[in-house]
Amino acid sequence: MEYLVVSLIFIVFLQTRFMELRRATLCLSVQSALIAAACLAVGLSHGGGLHGWLPGLLTIAVKVVFIPYAILKVVHQLRDEREIVSDINVNYSTAVAACSLALGYMVIDGLLPMAAGRDIMAASMFMIMTGLTLIVMRSRAIMQMIGLITMENGIYLLGLIMTEGLPLIIELGIFLDVLIAVVILVILTSRLRLSFKTTDTNVLDKLKG
Amino acid sequence: MLEYILPLLCLPPLCAVLALAGRFANQTLHWLHRLTATAVGVTVLLLAANFNPSQPYADDYFYIDALSCWVLLIITTLYVAASWMARSYLTREERCGVLKGEQLQTGRYFALMQLFCWTMFIVLLVKNLGLMWVAIEATTLISALLISFKFTRAALEATWKYIMVCTVGICLALLGTLVLYYAQLDALGSEKALSWLYLYQNASALDPAMTRLALLFIVIGYGTKAGMAPMHTWLPDAYAEAPSLTSGMLSGALCSCAIYVLLRNLVILLPTAGSAMMSGMLLFFAVLTVAVAVPFVVVQRDIKRLLAYSSMENIGIMVAGIGAFSAFSLKAVMLHMYSHAMIKFVLFYIAGTVIQEYQTRNMMRIHGMIKDVPYTATFWLTGMLGILGLPPMGLFFSKFYIMAALFREGHWLAGSLLIVLLAGVLIGILYHGMRMLGDSARRKPLGELLGSMDIAVLALLLLATCAVGAGFEAIPWLDNVLNCAVRVIGG
Repeated sequence: MEYLVVSLIFIVFLQTRFMELRRATLCLSVQSALIAAACLAVGLSHGGGLHGWLPGLLTIAVKVVFIPYAILKVVHQLRDEREIVSDINVNYSTAVAACSLALGYMVIDGLLPMAAGRDIMAASMFMIMTGLTLIVMRSRAIMQMIGLITMENGIYLLGLIMTEGLPLIIELGIFLDVLIAVVILVILTSRLRLSFKTTDTNVLDKLKG
Repeated sequence: MLEYILPLLCLPPLCAVLALAGRFANQTLHWLHRLTATAVGVTVLLLAANFNPSQPYADDYFYIDALSCWVLLIITTLYVAASWMARSYLTREERCGVLKGEQLQTGRYFALMQLFCWTMFIVLLVKNLGLMWVAIEATTLISALLISFKFTRAALEATWKYIMVCTVGICLALLGTLVLYYAQLDALGSEKALSWLYLYQNASALDPAMTRLALLFIVIGYGTKAGMAPMHTWLPDAYAEAPSLTSGMLSGALCSCAIYVLLRNLVILLPTAGSAMMSGMLLFFAVLTVAVAVPFVVVQRDIKRLLAYSSMENIGIMVAGIGAFSAFSLKAVMLHMYSHAMIKFVLFYIAGTVIQEYQTRNMMRIHGMIKDVPYTATFWLTGMLGILGLPPMGLFFSKFYIMAALFREGHWLAGSLLIVLLAGVLIGILYHGMRMLGDSARRKPLGELLGSMDIAVLALLLLATCAVGAGFEAIPWLDNVLNCAVRVIGG
């Protein structure tokens, strides 16, 4: 588990560093793979069965394979190289991520002192807050989507550690929701590209008052 | 009861699949849409008639009590009304509305509408708080496609904001639900995970520290979905850019759904988290929501944004009513939910018609409605008086009772602030609305576009709010359902 926590924190920090959308998407895929590994480890240590391995396999199918694939398909449509790489606020979002790691430990120590999975719970709080940071600070549609998935991964991991997984039917529902959300966001992103010639959400400032 | 639940859950998706298949002419689709909605409406009526409010129905997955029955009635009413008006609305939109000039995909619209209502039915029928979360998230996703229906630039912007803000909010609600599940595991074990009924019966065993944390996340999460300030930023954009029928459904039905889920969660959390924290938090958010809405109502130019901000004001009042948390105020909240849904649906529909008639959304360019388009003007005036809470419409009674409850429970600060703010809303809406009615027209409308079917449905909805508002203590069945619903919430 320690290796998992360290590599997860490393990957999420890396996530805030990437400016290029393709690499960021691949990073997201690796991050989800780590979540899947944690999911399988927890599931199998509690006696296996359908509930043991199904969420892990679904994580691999949905979050490691399908979602990055769908995002990459949109990224490939973006011809303008400048749009793919340019971004400001990268350093800010890393700095905020560092703060939120400290904050994550503080929150967990305050709420659940002496809890067994302290590190991994702090890591998942860190993921939730970093995901929020990515949504708030990055302007490009795809980075915001990645932030959303990171946040969702964090919540999922927190649920996994705190409660050893929700009932199977609820987990299936959550997977379905994430899947539909990504499909709809991908549709919207490609529509943004068609209508605005860019996927930078800073252009979305016409509706006011 | 299962024989009533199954049609509710089977018919709308069936209709959606048929509509998406694309094998039917528009004429057939219109009737399919109407008949499905009517069948569901009849089922819900039968369910309500055969249902004993004091004896909830529960099985492994579904749970119906007076509270869900009441919200189910609200949503089904709007669903049936929307489906009967869809035909005239869509043909008009095609001719002279925002959907003009594009191959109108009636099938797609009907399919999305049916699925949207279907997900709301699931929210109301399921017993499990986790599944309730899943269904609420599904309503966000389906309604996002309805808001961006035409994929114009403005619609895309509104949808992007809607989906980002709401999904983040709903994720926080998931976090709250997880914390609640953790509290349940700690106190009661993994049996019947997150089952509402089980938690309801054992609510006092949960750990107070955990339930307070869960309460925080859940109020913020579902509050975002309902449109509470400061997480309201998606609301005016989404309501204003969606096609008018959808705006009415979003404002009337979806908002009631979000408040319903909030109430369901509060019931579980309150016995341990204590009502002082909940009251303080909800009253603060309520006053803030109304306060944010007032200036935008007063200086508004866009007719649909005006209505959207007025929705925020009403959400604020409902949240304040929940914050006061007495039997009296909760009953008024139930009534407010109903009246607001009906009147706001009517107003959004009329706003859509006005936009089609005058070809503008700017209220400053619309004059002399009463002379040129008398039917539309009459409904606009009645709806406005209704939403402002003037008698005899239902909102008068509910607003009055909520205000009275605030003072009765000793929240005089929130109460007096709300009264001042409501006066501001009254001035703003009355000024804009009346200005459109009077004066002589500088811009000739296309003509009276309201058809006979529209007039019948709109008048029925308005009459229903009058009847329910005036008679909610005099009609025995209604009184019984509302009292049982309040008893479920525990006021």
